[in-house]
Amino acid sequence: MSRLRIFLSSSIFSFKAQFHWLNPPMWLTMKFVLSVSQMAFFVFVGLFIAGPEAIPFIAIGNSLQSVSWNTIFSVISITGHDKWDGTLPLVLATPASRLPLFIGRAMIHILDGILSVAISFFFAAFLFGVNFAQTNVLALTLTVFLTAFTMAGFGLLIGGLCFHLRNPMVFANIFTYALLLFCGVNFPVQNLPQIIQPISYIFPLTYGVTAARNAIAGATLFDVSLLLGQQLVVGLVSLMVGYFFFQLFERTARKTGKLEEL
Amino acid sequence: MPEALRVIYSAFRMAMLHWFADPQWVIPNIIAPFIFTSVALTLFKDSTGPFGLYAVLGGGMMGMWGNTLYASGFAIEMERWQGTLEEVMAAPSKLLHVVAGRSVSNAVFGLTNMLAVFLIAVLVFRVQIEVDDPLLFVTTTVLTLVSVSTLGLIFASAFVLSRSTQVLTNGLETPLYIISGSMFPIALLPFWIHPIAYVLGPTWGVDAIRLAASQEYLSQTFWQGFDVNTAILLDVVMMMAITLAYAGMAVVLFKVVEKRARIKGTLVEA
Repeated sequence: MSRLRIFLSSSIFSFKAQFHWLNPPMWLTMKFVLSVSQMAFFVFVGLFIAGPEAIPFIAIGNSLQSVSWNTIFSVISITGHDKWDGTLPLVLATPASRLPLFIGRAMIHILDGILSVAISFFFAAFLFGVNFAQTNVLALTLTVFLTAFTMAGFGLLIGGLCFHLRNPMVFANIFTYALLLFCGVNFPVQNLPQIIQPISYIFPLTYGVTAARNAIAGATLFDVSLLLGQQLVVGLVSLMVGYFFFQLFERTARKTGKLEEL
Repeated sequence: MPEALRVIYSAFRMAMLHWFADPQWVIPNIIAPFIFTSVALTLFKDSTGPFGLYAVLGGGMMGMWGNTLYASGFAIEMERWQGTLEEVMAAPSKLLHVVAGRSVSNAVFGLTNMLAVFLIAVLVFRVQIEVDDPLLFVTTTVLTLVSVSTLGLIFASAFVLSRSTQVLTNGLETPLYIISGSMFPIALLPFWIHPIAYVLGPTWGVDAIRLAASQEYLSQTFWQGFDVNTAILLDVVMMMAITLAYAGMAVVLFKVVEKRARIKGTLVEA
């Protein structure tokens, strides 16, 4: 019961904490403006180069990628703000169980990320004419949920790593944008140089965008299950490695007496 | 040295010192243009025509845009966070001149992003970059930098009154890349966006830069039917006229904003 309480309070506080620098109307504006502007940019680039047939591929890819603003950027930001705002010693001084405390930080961002994807799909359909008529709703829904969950795991991995670094926000930016390049969001992973293609498969989003495109084309849950299974494994491994980094940081910080000045 | 220039230079110097003290901060400012350009170059990889140069010049332009936009926002936000905004406002130097110096320094950093994009394009993506008229290319780039910096002043004046500058800069960044046609012709955009594009000085600047780089762009510009040199001249005239209007607006806006901030006394908690 205590673990559940810690998990829930960690979830709620980490989400509420972002309103320290973001007010609710601006949060809503960002939700709509960011989703549509990034998608529109790449849709127009694709339209310029490859013509209208490139639009669905790019619009769906960017819809899924919108989850990373919540699950990568916001989750890593928690580490950054803990360091800047001087709350990290208080967090680490509590006797609370560490695993629910750590995982809880990402939970509401997962729901927020799912909302971002839903808004992006709306734009993809109504602004850019993506056809959702063949969509297998169950497969797509599960893909979106799993993508948000596993990407949060990846966010916690980078967030955990960032405890050891001086400026987590730099990494929040790098990883959020790098997904656009590595995860098959705007072009198939096979278009990347062969030597860097393996990097794409360490990101859960790579599996998610492929599964989403398949589900929108009519693939069943069984058809996309292998992709979702791979995504789940990558997400869980990320989460556990992130937790390891968090614990390592805590141990090192207690030994050296250095929390924020790394 | 006139007072205004001295203040602008001091702010410029201070921004440079800050950058050298903690250079990692430039990464968030330039990461989006850098990644967007890499994505575009990968998309352009199998295309024929002048797409590669389009992506490279667009990426460089976006670097200037992104850096200036962030700089305008953070020039104020960092002062607010560090508790020095009141001192800056209370100083006899005009806030406009302080922000102008920072805005120029950050547009200059944006040029380093342009250089990085060029290097990546040539070394990784094997894009052949040949500039038809190097002198005009450099001249139009510098003038565009001035235009971007001046637009940054207008943003900065609004940011003085808002606590959400970080959010506003994030929200404005990509729409500006789209509207100014950094990486594709404006003709692709819905018609109702065109007037917004034409009141942005950098829209004309990037057009002039492209024309100075390659005459092949003449068929895609606003000035079809003119020769290249006339088209560049017209682009530059448009850009400078708009830039002067921005400068005038910035002077008025900073006066209004400073006055309002002093009357309301809510500068830090805006």
